[in-house]
Amino acid sequence: MDKDTRPEAGSGGSNPGVTITSLLLSGMLFYGGLGWLVDRWVGTERVFLPIGIVLGLVAALYLVYVRFGRDQ
Amino acid sequence: MSADVVLASEGGGCHLFSGCGFPAPGAEIFIFDPMFHIGPFEVTKPALVAAATAAIVIAFFWAAFSNAKLVPSRIQGLGEMGYLFVRDQIARPMIGKEGDRFVPYFMTLFFFIWMLNFMAFIPLIQLPVTSRVAFPALFAIVSWAIYMTLTFKRNGLVGGFRNLAVPSGLPGWVYILLTPIELLSNVIIRPFTLTIRLFANMFAGHMLIAVFSIGAWYLVSPSIIGMASATASFTMAIVMSAFELIIQFLQAYIFTMLVASYIGQALEEAH
Repeated sequence: MDKDTRPEAGSGGSNPGVTITSLLLSGMLFYGGLGWLVDRWVGTERVFLPIGIVLGLVAALYLVYVRFGRDQ
Repeated sequence: MSADVVLASEGGGCHLFSGCGFPAPGAEIFIFDPMFHIGPFEVTKPALVAAATAAIVIAFFWAAFSNAKLVPSRIQGLGEMGYLFVRDQIARPMIGKEGDRFVPYFMTLFFFIWMLNFMAFIPLIQLPVTSRVAFPALFAIVSWAIYMTLTFKRNGLVGGFRNLAVPSGLPGWVYILLTPIELLSNVIIRPFTLTIRLFANMFAGHMLIAVFSIGAWYLVSPSIIGMASATASFTMAIVMSAFELIIQFLQAYIFTMLVASYIGQALEEAH
């Protein structure tokens, strides 16, 4: 089987839109979740949660840039 | 009596200028009382329609392929068209030649989902079964189980995690930050987005048609503005129905195509 016959093999199928949505969501979910845990641990309320969400979004955007934005 | 009928009869006497407000349809048009019981299970309209749809799809392909000939009959020709569509538009572009062995699963997904969606247009049924979230959720869970199994079968335990969690082409230290995102995206978010995309599209489409249809009936009244608005609302119901016809097909296609692309990614050798 010739691997190159697949369109955009290695970029998560041929659906950048779907993959991007999924990555952005999971970025916010994971780092937002970490922030929420830190909040609980430190005892603050809604301090690290928003920070985590924003950082997660930034990280996910970077991942999106690496996978879809850069020239192949 | 189904919920739409109850709703229509409740709002039946209600018209513009007759003093009562617009009987706006809500989520209750998707909720049905059990029709009868089989053992401990309550059988509701969506379950019954889903079973009937399964029977219809099975009967069609049975008729098409049980007695396959080299020179196809008309129904066999139709079945073959469906097969070729799924193979050439979904399986091969997403997976490659190896995708051929998954075509039976994609056929089942695509035609079953399409017909479940299409039930919105069958008189007296008029319910896209996939607007009940349990149905898309089940399809997503089964598909999730398949691509997870394939990932680990093809790549082994470590390679499987690499396939699912490690994005390629990054500078070293960033991996630690981005691997959890990739893993979460591929393992947890995917089945949810699959489910919600199909469910929300069918739910919203059915709701729109219900609003415009009930709106048209409500606006019918002995006045020019009422009749004009009723006509406009009815026209919108027709236009939305035409859109729905496309969306029913499109959502079945998108669902199957995404599952195919996930399976394709699972089968990729680790980089």
